[in-house]
Amino acid sequence: MQGIFKSLMKNKAFLLLVLPGAAWFIIFAYLPMFGTIIAFKDFRIHPGGFLESVLKSEWVGFKNFEFLFSTSDAYIITRNTILYNLGLIFLGLVLAVTLAIIMNELLNKRLAKIYQTAMFMPYFLSWVIISYFVFSFLSVEKGVFNQIIMYFGGDPVSWYSETGYWPYFLILLGLWKGAGYGSVVYLAAIAGIDRSYYEAAMIDGATKWKQIRYITLPLLRPLMIILTILAIGGIFRSDFGLFYQVPRDSGALYPVTNVIDTFVYRGLTIMGDTGMSTATGLYQSVVGLILVLLANYAVRKIEKDYAVF
Amino acid sequence: MKTRKIALLMVTLLLAFSTVLAGCGGSNTNDTSGNAASGGESGDKDTVKLKVYLIGGPQRDLPMVQEEMNKYLMEKINTTVDITMIDWGDYSKRMPVITASGENYDIAFTSSWAYDYLPNATRGAFLPINDLLDKYGQGIKEQLDPRFLTGSQIDGQNYAVPVNKELASQWVWRFNKQYVDKYNMDITKIRTLEDLEPYLQQIKDNEPADITPLAVPKGFKPYLAFDFLLGDEFPVGINMNGDTGKYVNVLESEELKSSLKTIRKYYQAGYLRKDVATLEGIDNIKTGKWFVDREQTQPYAELGWSRSAGYDIVTTPMQDPVIFTGSATGAMHAISANSKNPERAMMFLNLLNTDPYLRNLINYGIEGTHYNKISDNVIEDLPAMKDGFQMPGFALGNLFLTYMHKEDPADKWEAFKEFNNSAKVAPSFGFNFNPDPVKTEVASISAIVKEFYPSIMTGAVDPDEHLPKAIEKLKAAGLDKVIAEAQKQYDEWKAANQK
Amino acid sequence: MSNLSEPIKRASAHTRRTGKKSRDLNAISPLSNVIFNIAIGLFALSCIFPFLFIVIISFTDEKTLAINGFKLFPEVWTLDAYRFLMESGQQMAQSFGVTLTVTVVGTALTLYLVTTYAYAISRKNFAQRRFFSFLAFFTMLFSGGLVPSYIVVTQVLHLRDSIWALILPSIMNAFYIIVMRTFFTTTVPDAVIESAKIDGATEFGIYTRIVLPISLPGIATIGLFSTLGFWNDWFNALLYIDNANLIPLQTLLIRIQNNMDFVVQNSSRVVSYDIASTLPTETVRMAMVVLATLPVALAYPFFQKYFIQGLTIGSVKE
Repeated sequence: MQGIFKSLMKNKAFLLLVLPGAAWFIIFAYLPMFGTIIAFKDFRIHPGGFLESVLKSEWVGFKNFEFLFSTSDAYIITRNTILYNLGLIFLGLVLAVTLAIIMNELLNKRLAKIYQTAMFMPYFLSWVIISYFVFSFLSVEKGVFNQIIMYFGGDPVSWYSETGYWPYFLILLGLWKGAGYGSVVYLAAIAGIDRSYYEAAMIDGATKWKQIRYITLPLLRPLMIILTILAIGGIFRSDFGLFYQVPRDSGALYPVTNVIDTFVYRGLTIMGDTGMSTATGLYQSVVGLILVLLANYAVRKIEKDYAVF
Repeated sequence: MKTRKIALLMVTLLLAFSTVLAGCGGSNTNDTSGNAASGGESGDKDTVKLKVYLIGGPQRDLPMVQEEMNKYLMEKINTTVDITMIDWGDYSKRMPVITASGENYDIAFTSSWAYDYLPNATRGAFLPINDLLDKYGQGIKEQLDPRFLTGSQIDGQNYAVPVNKELASQWVWRFNKQYVDKYNMDITKIRTLEDLEPYLQQIKDNEPADITPLAVPKGFKPYLAFDFLLGDEFPVGINMNGDTGKYVNVLESEELKSSLKTIRKYYQAGYLRKDVATLEGIDNIKTGKWFVDREQTQPYAELGWSRSAGYDIVTTPMQDPVIFTGSATGAMHAISANSKNPERAMMFLNLLNTDPYLRNLINYGIEGTHYNKISDNVIEDLPAMKDGFQMPGFALGNLFLTYMHKEDPADKWEAFKEFNNSAKVAPSFGFNFNPDPVKTEVASISAIVKEFYPSIMTGAVDPDEHLPKAIEKLKAAGLDKVIAEAQKQYDEWKAANQK
Repeated sequence: MSNLSEPIKRASAHTRRTGKKSRDLNAISPLSNVIFNIAIGLFALSCIFPFLFIVIISFTDEKTLAINGFKLFPEVWTLDAYRFLMESGQQMAQSFGVTLTVTVVGTALTLYLVTTYAYAISRKNFAQRRFFSFLAFFTMLFSGGLVPSYIVVTQVLHLRDSIWALILPSIMNAFYIIVMRTFFTTTVPDAVIESAKIDGATEFGIYTRIVLPISLPGIATIGLFSTLGFWNDWFNALLYIDNANLIPLQTLLIRIQNNMDFVVQNSSRVVSYDIASTLPTETVRMAMVVLATLPVALAYPFFQKYFIQGLTIGSVKE
């Protein structure tokens, strides 16, 4: 006890700095977390308030989780979720870093700023709107793609029923929408790198590419690793709009567009069961947590400072 | 050492917030209804303020109208109301949260399509009101078609007061009149999907390609005379033309198989849009480039449709009107299980559904400000109504009490009553299925249905190939188990109600 | 340090004025420049293109749109969509004000809370830093759900119908904290902090006088994200606000859109509410995107100037 108190006093300057933030977390994030109990209960409303409803509702163990596993689609939705996320995380990383580095090297800075602003725009579009545009390309009758195909004498493709193309479509769209936003962090990071490093390297005869490889990338590594670990935490979650709106909820495409979030949404529209939807969220969070702990542990072994905690 | 410190820190924090937690557990009594002491006893005449949630957009003049209402209500039942409007799109998202959080509101709008009545009543959100209806709701019971009350019962208990309006449901074919006239069609001959064929062909052959003969979106299904267990997006139902005691797999019925052949033929002939299976909504009314579509009707609906489309629409029925359990839950008002003043709430609802002054006040606003009376029952809107007070009439209570407009046919409400009386009652009317014992299966099946229904039901794919696939997948997800459970509950309900 | 800042200031001023680095010796070749410009330019074009369309569609007549689809040169132009939105014109101005206030106050609070928290956990001699890092990070994965959060805000904190319900629930964000912390640890060498401490500076002094100025790019990033987050948020108001004077812009727009969708989808039930089929749904939707996006797109350049390399470096050297 003595030891702890002493340690706290020694660190009191820091503790004071984190106090407001920590208080916020407790009130707005941890306090509501007790609601996750609902995942294990058959939630019914009792007069007397939410707490009473939760306490008086029956325990049902893992029953609310059943439908996530007992369905014949369990393998498909899990596979889709993981693969898409892996693709988006890693390709997104490569794209964001590449864009940031290139834009930093462009000679005309004003032009670079214009490109940056432009690349940010897709972030503001909702997937619903993007799905309209995709439709104008892929529509069977009037879509641009089919117009071009027919112009060259081919047969129109029923894009919304052919599963083969969609993994590419979805990943491309996901990357496109997030590129601008993702590159900002790296741009800022590059902006903070001491230019004298580059000058020294140039004097030593290093080419641009060598400079990027031995100066820029290593200095960006902590950020890349940490952001990737954080992204892994969300590996069982998906951007709902991308997988639901863009394919227009086409049944024929479900084998390649169905992810955990869309499956749960489609399954619960009739019943709206709070317990089941909470259970899904808990399942996604726990898996994410385990993976992050593993990734974090692995990273700590290699380079302590690069870990999240 | 370090881990001990961390652990101790966490324990302290845990203790800290569990004390806060304990504090907030009991503290939800003084929340919004702002009424301290009164309300439990019958006949208690303390002033009560009721908190009411209604669906619809916020209205600028609501405070003004509410004040008039409260003056009247104070005279009559020593009560005032505090109405909050929650918008159409938000209603179903917000009400469950408000309810689950334990707020002490008194009355809320509920229905099968907004803040879903059935699951929420089953989960305990609403107060059972049979006794309250008997004591304070005599007026409601008198003017309401009794089938509204029996249809919305769950295990013999009523959980909300239905709004008196059209009770039966009836699908009709809607026709774009200009084409009917152009080809001199006698649409009274058209009733079934098959009947449409020659007319669809005529349109397809003689009209430009952008006129859609059968303009329907992906939710379209060929009409089946089935009493569905959980709505028409779930393949379990009772064949109303067959054994009305049995729940069956709709997808295995002969009627469906033959309808699917027809719709497949139509799709291949180009009567439907090529992308119908992914079409969320269809804008045919806006463009006017269509021949026939389908819709659920009520008396004089064609007048409303024609008025908003800007051109004439005529209809012919697909079926005779039927009253389903779900028809009774089109618009209702429930008393919250957390309400502190259920008796007074029922008194208010009773007044709302029987008193023409109050009913029209909440619907149309204040005479002279929002409208002028042309005759006893007919009014004409003033600009102030469009700007400041447009309430969704069908969701406010007994529709038959409301004033009419010049354009409405004089016998409008009579026609409604006639419509309701002529309707047949479905076999499972009054039976509300509780999906809890099979909720895992129901969730899986719902998801699978969304995968297969649109393309099969609109004829976009070959039913011979895809229907068996769908059936197989559904069975693997437990369809037969659900059917068995439905049958079991149904038989129990029948026995208990001596049907 | 002051004797170093002069050349830096001159160099950055020159950069800002001409848009070109004053010393080009380390720049890429003109050929590479052209190639990159084309590549990125095309990509940027693909990002802007939908917006061009959106603006055009927002000025298109609804009927023509339904018949002809999206066209760059619609047959019939109209201001109908904007007129429809302007019917709630006064409301819209009010909502714009609300959003502006919420965004500015919210971002300021966020920057303060995030940077102080991140700074503390970035310092190696903070004994409890792992604990507080985990405390923040855990919230990225786990949440209690809608109802418990609703209860905390309305019943515990009594913030219903208060503007704080739009600000407070969003002012802390574990992601921002971790990004900021990374910026701190990578751009501020320990040596600098150590030497400052030897000189007798307090932790807070080090924070304000040394760390913050160096970390401007990072702060600008968080500021940008935070601004966008507050600007685009529509959910908090949906849950907590009934008072029409406190509805933010996005909520207003989303509400208009949800209502249109709802009424159109359920038109069979709302037959007496017979405006459904004439609602200019699609064009209004696009007009809403334009109104909601333009203001904040114009804010982006404001943050951009912090992303220029060369603005702040060099001040670290002793």
